[in-house]
Amino acid sequence: MDPVTLAVVRGSLEQIADEMDLHLIHAAISPIISETNDCANGIFHPVTGETIAQGRYGLPVFLAYMQFTVQKVIELANADGGFKPGDMWIMNDTYLGGSHLQDVQIIAPVFAGGELFAVMATTGHWMDMGGNVPGGWAPRATEIHQEGIVIPPVKLYDEGKLNKALVAMFRANVRLPNEITGDMMAMVNVFSVGSRGIEAMVKRYGRALLSDCLNEMIAYSERQMRSYIAELTDGTYTFEDFIDNDGINDTPMRVALAVTVKGDQMHFDFAGTDPKATGPMNMSRNTTLSSVYVAIKHIFPDVPVNGGTFRPISFNIPDGTMLAAEYPSPCGGYLEPMGRVIDVVFGAMSKALPDKAPAAFFGTIGVVSISGTHPKSGSYFVGVFPYPGGYGATHASDGLINGTPPQSMANFMSLEMSEHRFPIRFDHFRIRDDSGGAGWHRGGCGTEYGFTALSDTIVSVLGDRVDYAPFGVNGGGSAQASRVEFITSGKTWVPEMRSKQEKEPLRAGDALRTASPGGGGFGRALERELSMVERDLNRGYVSRLTAETVYGVVVAESTQGAAGNMRYRLDEAASIQRRAQMKTGASA
Amino acid sequence: MAGLVGIDVGGTFTDLYYSGDATRSHRILKVPSTPQDPSIGMIESLRAAGLGADELDAILHGTTIATNAVIERRGARCALVTTRGFRDLLELGRRDRPTMYGLEGTHEPMVPRDLRFEVDERLDHEGKVVRPLDEAGLRLIGAALLELEVESVVISFMHAYANTDHEDRARAILAGINPKWELVTATSVVREYYEFERTSTAVVQGYLQPLVARYATNLARKLHEWGFDREVAIMQSNGGVAPLRQLGQRAAYIVRSGPAAGVTAAARIAAEAGFSHVITGDMGGTSFDVAVVINGKPDVADLTNLDFRIPLRLPMIDVHTIGAGGGSIAHLDRGGMLMVGPRSAGAAPGPVAYRRGGTEPTVTDANVVLGRINPESRMNGKDSTLDVEGARRAVADLGKKMDLSMEAAAEAILAVVNQRMAGRMRLMSIERGLDPRDFALVAFGGAGPLHGGALIREVGVTTMLVPLYPGVLCALGCVYADLRYDLSQTLEKRVDRLEAGALDAIIKRQREQGDSQLKEALVPVDKVTITHTADMAYQGQIHSLSVPIESGWDAARLERAFNDTYRDKFGNTLDNMPVVIVNLRTIVVGNRSNSPLPMAPAPGSGSPKPISRRPVHFGKAWHDTPVFSRDAFAPGMTLDGPAIVEQSDTTTVIEPDMTVVVDKNGNLLVKVK
Repeated sequence: MDPVTLAVVRGSLEQIADEMDLHLIHAAISPIISETNDCANGIFHPVTGETIAQGRYGLPVFLAYMQFTVQKVIELANADGGFKPGDMWIMNDTYLGGSHLQDVQIIAPVFAGGELFAVMATTGHWMDMGGNVPGGWAPRATEIHQEGIVIPPVKLYDEGKLNKALVAMFRANVRLPNEITGDMMAMVNVFSVGSRGIEAMVKRYGRALLSDCLNEMIAYSERQMRSYIAELTDGTYTFEDFIDNDGINDTPMRVALAVTVKGDQMHFDFAGTDPKATGPMNMSRNTTLSSVYVAIKHIFPDVPVNGGTFRPISFNIPDGTMLAAEYPSPCGGYLEPMGRVIDVVFGAMSKALPDKAPAAFFGTIGVVSISGTHPKSGSYFVGVFPYPGGYGATHASDGLINGTPPQSMANFMSLEMSEHRFPIRFDHFRIRDDSGGAGWHRGGCGTEYGFTALSDTIVSVLGDRVDYAPFGVNGGGSAQASRVEFITSGKTWVPEMRSKQEKEPLRAGDALRTASPGGGGFGRALERELSMVERDLNRGYVSRLTAETVYGVVVAESTQGAAGNMRYRLDEAASIQRRAQMKTGASA
Repeated sequence: MAGLVGIDVGGTFTDLYYSGDATRSHRILKVPSTPQDPSIGMIESLRAAGLGADELDAILHGTTIATNAVIERRGARCALVTTRGFRDLLELGRRDRPTMYGLEGTHEPMVPRDLRFEVDERLDHEGKVVRPLDEAGLRLIGAALLELEVESVVISFMHAYANTDHEDRARAILAGINPKWELVTATSVVREYYEFERTSTAVVQGYLQPLVARYATNLARKLHEWGFDREVAIMQSNGGVAPLRQLGQRAAYIVRSGPAAGVTAAARIAAEAGFSHVITGDMGGTSFDVAVVINGKPDVADLTNLDFRIPLRLPMIDVHTIGAGGGSIAHLDRGGMLMVGPRSAGAAPGPVAYRRGGTEPTVTDANVVLGRINPESRMNGKDSTLDVEGARRAVADLGKKMDLSMEAAAEAILAVVNQRMAGRMRLMSIERGLDPRDFALVAFGGAGPLHGGALIREVGVTTMLVPLYPGVLCALGCVYADLRYDLSQTLEKRVDRLEAGALDAIIKRQREQGDSQLKEALVPVDKVTITHTADMAYQGQIHSLSVPIESGWDAARLERAFNDTYRDKFGNTLDNMPVVIVNLRTIVVGNRSNSPLPMAPAPGSGSPKPISRRPVHFGKAWHDTPVFSRDAFAPGMTLDGPAIVEQSDTTTVIEPDMTVVVDKNGNLLVKVK
């Protein structure tokens, strides 16, 4: 294979996938796609269904999972006499495709010279799929039917002809039919962008050469991934962590992982993980695979995303566990187990590769959904606010404050824009003091926000990480755990499942308060540079108590400013002495 | 009339362009920049050009001081006062991370948390007072700020775009406490919703204002000492200039003014050459800046990220930068794939051929070994010529790893870097439904004309235009720019629910504000052009479209204009969805007496005479190629490739199947046969 052509073809295919992303982001109606990029687009191998290129604007959560859907649809299409030009398949079946029912995928073939050349797929998050809770985050669901309508893989277009009955069927079953139809058409239009680009490439390079390139790109990523794995020390690295509860039964659920590195291969074994949850803290096997790839990609950001990357990695995800969900287990809370899988991959890899793997991130998506009828416009609204939080510290730096989850790139909604759309008023949006894990590098602080309802509003919360805080690595401390409080009729209370509450009715004046976790620390707190501790103290990232008892510093002087603002100066010599004493005390 | 001079102060060089008149010819030159006091380099460039203060009507200039101060966090000691509960907005941003993959890195806000204060007050989204301003509390904050010895204070309150009373009152109170503070209310910089983006933009202004005001004072004094007391104007990132006297108040507007000036010049030159759709490509040592001009107007972005979590929500010419330049390093990644950039050898160690210690092959080295760059070139006045042998060795070593000859490896480096640049050009033009054959590429910067030919072929653009002075185009742009003021205000209302006259009242106020700024500028203008646009969307959409509107339009007319724009962009409309007007914008442009383009040489005919010949590699073979001096090209001349055209600031490559026509203004128009 001519290396120049290969490099140019790869760049061009990635570009086409990028163009598909941008088209969807700009044309979609729902903010969740247009504002938070909750979508993905890719080009896939026509025979194996492996990913060839995926757009770089969509979310990491979709890193691998479209490949599995495409593989399933290829199988179904072949059984049905093969793809025909103008066909488009649609599905949201969680157990086949992954994630949750809100993520709808549309799959279409690309033909060149009358022959199937590649397959394209697009995913978009639809704001509502029906089900028990508007927006779909149903903390008390016990079967998938409570989470929304299930679309099996079926043809949306048959040789260019729209299946209107199908569209009418799901319009009748969702709460926001116009928005969702608009998003669907935006997704359908993405394929004209993709096929135009691919057809131009076939014309330029010829079908045979381009096909060779597709195969070589996959082989190339495989080589690259293997070279990274080969640098790890052979051995088995284990880690486990827990989900607080499943929203129905208040018992913790274990996520256990043993990573075995052997030569240029890795095996991820989730044996020991707890059985399926009664509530929605489950995810399909394909989502578990996707979660592992997201974590790997954060550790090795240079590896390109396509089918070859996945070849040197094997899995054992035991049947019947929460990480291999089967019908009819609910999966609406999948982002929480997804976060925990990413955490245990980081935890295990920090033993194999301490310079690269981060400490645990805030670890909960903590989706707050609000819905109701707007008192002014009289129209129905659904709003979704996912948690921001702190990142785990790394060898390279402190943890980021107010990060987006590793499996996402989604932003937090603008507060002012939200107040235009929804009858709520934000009371605060601020850094959560003293919430990052202590360490040589400190974990990022979590975020606190709260709002007051201005009229009748239904609020659901679906989070985790209250009972099990994000962990530190290499001697770093844990972060502060999550906290959710409702204030109704003047009383402050914590939900029975701590961070999970389904459809709580708020009246005007009632409020919600959330405090998300920080990230774990990296290395020992007593080794942190004194000037950084002083800075953290002055900025309020750490409290004086933490500075003195955990970081082992001595405050020489503290002064209060005219507005009550505090300033601290450390006593360097005394701090060094105290740290030495604390280290001896710890070893004695 | 006396002349105008444009000066672009970059990090390394200060470029000067003097636009002469009937009696004096234009001049161009480059002198080293003086970062410790940029005005020294400016005066030096004026002296070196042999220009006297009395010969100049106006000095127009672009500068990187604002950009660098933000990126390097060297701005003022600035405080922020916000609504209670929201002082951390600036640091929190909107929940993101620096890169999609990899969780390393942090964010250093321009105002650290210990200089951010909260005062009790709150407005709702319609601007109604929910909690009154706590003036006593604000006075305590003022006292604390005195103790903290800040230079500037930014005041940013929730929903203040809907009602500026609290911000204005807070400003007056703080001004009473210390008149020396530079005080900035967020809504005086940008009157739009999105609290983080508005606050960040205001903080950029407050963070830069003391620095830029000092710079303006110092420059005015230095020029006065030199004997110049007439007009000085600064290039803004929106493509217009503003007078030096307003510079302090417009500090946030001059971020990235150099690239904006380049695009402005390219648009003007292309327009006079008959091209209204233009892609501008500025390729230098480390980056490729690309922008799109549609119907003679550079594309303007409403929001630009200056750095991670530092959005600037002001109209700026939408210049996309990718890490592809002459210094971009070619290497094989772990899978054996050839990659070029984004890592750059920069100025030091530089390309292997530059003899400054570089060992890895770069794009420049590929151009050298293929004969495209003159091996006898002298680098910045140094005695030594290029190290061609060193470059050949470095490229050949890379080629061995791919089983490619030295020549094939060099061609591969160019193919890969060109594909990256072409990809971005495509993203910015074709995918918006525009036909590349309607575009011209204006290639400039030191390396633009070396690659432009390959780029037009790759993208399908018909013509590459190489202007007379591609190396100093940004300085040229300063001379051509008009005065420009942008005003905006958020409405966020359904069009069918607008109160009668509400729109016209805002339009009237924006016109008046723009007019008065224009008058205060004290710069003579030929005419004033005022345009209005509305950002509109279907209810629920986040991304709005910019729709040209006029005062006096009713709801039906506004909706029709929006639907037409939507159909143009997306091919359909969404019937029955209510239409929302998000922001209303007014642009006030003072058209300055248009200065003429650089004077073209006298017309000629036939083809120019080559100064030498050398072997140059194209495709798979060496071609004996004539080399020309740019001075030999006169309007009306034509030439067939292959050819190399050399001038002091760049080299233009004409590939074997390309032709050149010299247009009436002296531009080279290069086309694929």
